[in-house]
Amino acid sequence: MLFENVRSALEALAGNRLRSVLTLMGVMIGVFAVTTTISLGAIATAGITSQLQDFGNQALFITPNDDNPRSTRFTDADIDALARLPVSILRQRNIRGLARAGSEETQLTVNGVTANAPEVDRTIKLARGRYFSEEEDRRAAPVMVLSADAGEALFPDDPNPVGREVSVTVGSSRSFYTVIGIKEPLTGAFTFASNIAVDVPLQTLYLNHPSLARGEYPFLPVTVGLDRNIGDIEAQVDAILTRRRGADTFRIQTIQGALTLFDTITTILQAVLGGIGAISLLVGGIGILNIMLVSVTERTREIGLRKALGAKKGVILQQFMIEAVVLTLVGGLVGLGAAIGVLYLAVALVPFLDKVVLSPFTVLLGLFVSVATGVVFGVWPASRAANLSPIEALRYE
Amino acid sequence: MTQPPAGAPAQARGPVIEARDLHKVYTMEGGLEVRALRGLDLAVERGEFIAIMGPSGSGKSTLLQILGCLDAPTSGSYRLAGVEVARMSEDELAAVRNRRIGFIFQAFNLLPRATALRNVALPLMYRGVRPRERIERAAAALERIGLGDRLEHRSNELSGGQRQRVAIARALVTEPDILLADEPTGNLDSRTGEEILALFDAIHDEGRTVLMVTHEAEVAQHTERIVHIRDGVVESNERVAPRTVPSDPAAAT
Repeated sequence: MLFENVRSALEALAGNRLRSVLTLMGVMIGVFAVTTTISLGAIATAGITSQLQDFGNQALFITPNDDNPRSTRFTDADIDALARLPVSILRQRNIRGLARAGSEETQLTVNGVTANAPEVDRTIKLARGRYFSEEEDRRAAPVMVLSADAGEALFPDDPNPVGREVSVTVGSSRSFYTVIGIKEPLTGAFTFASNIAVDVPLQTLYLNHPSLARGEYPFLPVTVGLDRNIGDIEAQVDAILTRRRGADTFRIQTIQGALTLFDTITTILQAVLGGIGAISLLVGGIGILNIMLVSVTERTREIGLRKALGAKKGVILQQFMIEAVVLTLVGGLVGLGAAIGVLYLAVALVPFLDKVVLSPFTVLLGLFVSVATGVVFGVWPASRAANLSPIEALRYE
Repeated sequence: MTQPPAGAPAQARGPVIEARDLHKVYTMEGGLEVRALRGLDLAVERGEFIAIMGPSGSGKSTLLQILGCLDAPTSGSYRLAGVEVARMSEDELAAVRNRRIGFIFQAFNLLPRATALRNVALPLMYRGVRPRERIERAAAALERIGLGDRLEHRSNELSGGQRQRVAIARALVTEPDILLADEPTGNLDSRTGEEILALFDAIHDEGRTVLMVTHEAEVAQHTERIVHIRDGVVESNERVAPRTVPSDPAAAT
C-alpha cells in the first residue's frame, strides 16, 4: 500500500511536471540556503584555523590604547623588559613612499625591521635571493627585500630583480637601495589585500629618514612558540606593561581574539542566512499547501472512486501526505545537491577555504526539514481529501 | 487490514438485499428539506438480475447510493447479505463497499494514467491483498472478460467499450455479493452497449446478483425484473419474459 501510494504520488507529480517543479522550488531554495549556510560557516572556520596553524606560531599584537591620551609609543626599554619572556619581538617602523626602478614607479610601504623578521613572521618566505643579516642592519646597509607584489609592480619583466637598484622618495628626501631578495607570494588568508611593500634594515630606515624618532615603536608584533600557553604569556605581558606604563595604556590583540571575532561574524551571518532559509521554507511550504489543495480539488472524482472501491480515510490521507512529502523531499534533495555544488565552487574559488566540510548532521537536517515541510503543509489538504464524502466526490464535475 | 464487523460471513440463505422502510431526507442550504426516499422497501434474491427504472428525481440514484453503501439512509433498515449496514461508520462502510459490492459507473471512472492491470488491482490493494497476488487476480479477471491482451495498456489508450470492460473486471475482481451498475451503457454506442450487456448476461449466468439503473427500456429487457421507482417508493415490480436470444458467447468469455 505504501509502495503503491509512493508510486501513484510520483505519477501524479510527473503528470504535472512543470507545476511540480515550480512548486518544489521554494523548498529547494530553503533547503539550499539552510545547508549552504551551515556548511559554509564550518568550512570557513576550518579554513581559517588551518591557515593559522600554517602560520607556525602563536602571536600577540600590542598597540597603544588610542583612547587614552597618556598612552605613548613603546620603547626599547619596554621591549627589553618583555624579552625576558619566552617570546620573539620584532622592532618595526614603517613609512609610505614612492619607489622607482627604471621607468616603473609605485607607492609602497617601507618596513624597517630587524634581521630576525623571518623568524618572527613565518609568512616570510624568499623566492629568490636572501634576507638581510644582523650585520647589515647594524651598519645600515642600503639593501631591500621586495614583496612579490612590489616585485611585480617595479620589475614587471624581470622575475629575478636581485642586484637591481630601487630609489625611494619620501617627501623631499630620496634614497637608493639594492635589491637582495624577493619574497614568495602570500597564500591563503593573507591574499585579500594587495601587498606592495619592501623590507629594509631598521637602522637603514633611521639613517635615511632622520625625522623618525629612534627607539619608539607604534606597535609590537610578538610571537610565542606553539609549545607555550598563549593565555599565560598574555597575562605576563599585561602585567609587565601595566607596571612599566600604567593600566589602560595599551591593548593586546591575539589571533585567538580575532578568531573569536570571526566566529561571532560567522554566527551572525549564519543566523541571517538561516532566517532567509526559514522564510523560503515557509513560503515554499505555503506553495505546497496551495498546490496540494488544487490537486485535491482537481482529483475529487478520483478520490470518490477510490473511496467507492473501499479506500478508508486513513489510506486517502496517507496518499496525499506522501504526495506532499515526495514533492518537498525532491525539492530538498535538489536543494542539497545545489548546496554541495556551490560549496565545492566556493572552495575552488575562495583561497582561504581549503576543503568542503559537509557533516552528516547537515545533510540529515536538510532532509528532515524538507520532509517536515511536506508533513506540516500537506496535512490539511490531505485531510480535506480524506474527509470528502464518496457520493459528493463521485458527483463532482 | 483487519476484518471489520461488516465483513461477517455472508448468509447463504435469504435475500442478499433487504431494505425496509428506507427514508432519505436531504437538507439543502437554507433549511429546505428534500425527501428523496419515502419508505422504500426492496428485497433482492441471490442471483437476481434487476433493472431499476424511474423518472429523474424519483430517488433511484439515492437508492443506488444507499444500496452501494456510499451513503446511509436517514431511517430504515438495510441488510446486505444478512448484515445491517444502515448505521455503520464511514470506515465500516468503506470495508463493506470493498468486500461486498462491485460498482460499474456510466463514466467508467478508471484512473487514466494507470494501466488496466493496476486499475483492476486497486480494490484488492484496499483490501490488503499482497502485491503479487493482486496482479495475478487482476490479470485473471481481465482475461475472463476478454482483455488478456490489454493488461499493460493505460486506460486512456483504450476504447470506450474496453474501458467499461476494465471497469467490470475491477468490479468483479473482489468477488462481491452484488454488482451495482449505474447506466453502464449510457456512454457507449449501441453496438458496444450490446456487447457490454452480453457481458452482464454472462456474469448473471455465473450466478451473480446484478442491479442496474437504466432509463432505456431496451436495456432493462435484458434483466429478469424491472423495479419502477416513483416519488421515493417502489411503484411496481415487472417480471421480464425470459430472453430467447442467447448471449454472445464470444463476448462472454
